[in-house]
Amino acid sequence: MKKQMIISVMSKDRPGIVAEVTGAIYSLNGDLADLNQSVVCGYFTMILSATFDGKVTREDVTAELLQINTQERFEVSIKELDSETDFTQPETPEETYVMTVLGPNRSGLVHGISQFCYAHRINIIDLSTTLRNDIYTMVLQLDLTRASELSEIETDLERYNRDSGLNILLQHNDIFKVTSEVTLR
Amino acid sequence: MIQSDQVLATVEMIQKENLDVRTVTMGINLLDCRGGDVAETCAKVEKRIIDYAGNFVETCNKISKKLGIPVVNKRISVTPIAFVGAGFKKEGFIKLAKSLDKAATIVGVDILGGFSAQVEKGMTETDREYIASIPEALAQTEKICASINIATTQKGINMDALAMVGQTVKDLAESTADSGGFGAAKFVIFCNQPGDNPFMAGAIHGLEEADAVLNVGVSGPGVIARALERLIEKDTDKTLTLDQIAEEIKQTTFRVTRCGELIGRKVSEELDIEFGVVDLSLAPTPAIGDSVGEIFKILGVDSVGAPGSTAILAMLNDAVKKGGIFASKTVGGLSGAFIPVMEDAVLAEAVGEGALTLEKLEAMTCVCSVGLDMVAIPGSVDAETISAIIADEMALGMINSKTTAARLIPVPGKEAGEHVSFGGLFGASPIMPVNNVGKSGRFIQWGGRIPAPIHSFKN
Repeated sequence: MKKQMIISVMSKDRPGIVAEVTGAIYSLNGDLADLNQSVVCGYFTMILSATFDGKVTREDVTAELLQINTQERFEVSIKELDSETDFTQPETPEETYVMTVLGPNRSGLVHGISQFCYAHRINIIDLSTTLRNDIYTMVLQLDLTRASELSEIETDLERYNRDSGLNILLQHNDIFKVTSEVTLR
Repeated sequence: MIQSDQVLATVEMIQKENLDVRTVTMGINLLDCRGGDVAETCAKVEKRIIDYAGNFVETCNKISKKLGIPVVNKRISVTPIAFVGAGFKKEGFIKLAKSLDKAATIVGVDILGGFSAQVEKGMTETDREYIASIPEALAQTEKICASINIATTQKGINMDALAMVGQTVKDLAESTADSGGFGAAKFVIFCNQPGDNPFMAGAIHGLEEADAVLNVGVSGPGVIARALERLIEKDTDKTLTLDQIAEEIKQTTFRVTRCGELIGRKVSEELDIEFGVVDLSLAPTPAIGDSVGEIFKILGVDSVGAPGSTAILAMLNDAVKKGGIFASKTVGGLSGAFIPVMEDAVLAEAVGEGALTLEKLEAMTCVCSVGLDMVAIPGSVDAETISAIIADEMALGMINSKTTAARLIPVPGKEAGEHVSFGGLFGASPIMPVNNVGKSGRFIQWGGRIPAPIHSFKN
């Protein structure tokens, strides 16, 4: 009986973190599936899924990770899943859109946009934001499968655009893909 | 994972730079619509078009909306009508034109092309009747465009047909004098006319094509102009060279073409009609910021037509093809930069300044598609001179194994320097002077054919 766990690790960034964390999992005969890492303002964060033998517990994995000799202790969080789940990333849904938001930095921007998405039953699949020269840029990948009518979203977005003074554009994911990838499927 | 710089590049293309798909054109075969008489043929033609294209416009609009890329025109091209109406008289062709117009209106397309004939070697009696019908047919319809292929590299130039079409152009302009001779803007004369060109006025559904096919025309001079402006702006240390500029054009064209390819595939899938080609043309519109002429100025000539203009156009045309070819599964049609004078505000302005002359325009057409396109000339220019101008343009295409075309508008009652405007996508322009009027009559009167050129010894 195999057991799947979702593990997240946060720490001050330095070379070697991925090697150490995956080394700890390897030492417990863990098998890595999806992994995502990112660095924000010098802080490293990683979320991954791994499969272990049934007898390996959450505590075993935590202990193994905390044994790593590091100046700043890792912040570790582990979620054990009840049954074996298919963790392969689902295909991007047909109704995937990319929203870009540009505007002068102020507080509440991400909240406002994510609230807009929530209100229209739009699921945020991916989100990245950057602040450069006091201009805040957000790029969101959105799943509109269960969302309100596109025309309604567009009308509301236009109003939101006007009221907020931001530059918001919603475009279909396919447009982004075909113009930036060599392979056209 | 999304990379924000790539997403933002696409955003700029769509939002700020007039990125659109200029046209999705459905080609429809009408060869088997011939009935026992004119009325039966007309009925079959109408039914065929409505059967195939009934939900064409709606489908394009739906996909355009979903993807957020405007599809500016939805058009239909049909089998050259002289084949469909073999044996008809002039009146029969006029009725056919009206039926095509009616069907085009019912399905809601912008324009229907293919009121056409192919006479590059010889003319049948039907072809003569068809040519005779053109002025009335176009004056009495709204959405119909006509074209005629009178020359090819393989067969030479049909000078009998050439002499006739010079007069047709005059008659067309005269029959639509109240709108500045607009009728002539719907008639184009070709050498080496492609059968899969989605752009008007010269779109036809070639005899070599299947029953129905979708061809897409991408455009985007504005997208290229803005990309070049950004590139030049970044060149603070003045190290930018033309090969880098060509590379930028190539990459931008790749992106633009991909959008056309995507739209074409989706519409084709939805309508279950074969996707034919993407035509990689740079087609300007009179809108500010959507001009091919503007690119000349960005690249360093102060007026279009100044020395260097032909070289710039050659580079532009080639870079567009290189970027587009890889972006699309199948490329066809005209595929090159257009320089339709009236449809491009910067080109029209150059005519007004006297910078762009007919002779320079002719030279420029040697290195791009399509030819002397949308050129307003004085209404007083005689038919033989018009035929002779067309003959020169045909010769360029014939010798260089490329498509060339002429769409001249002899504006009734107006002379060089005066202004004509057709509105919308057809644009406006000062009237271009024509030199040496009335000096080519003896040449045109010979008739017969200019034989096909030799195809080896290319030096």
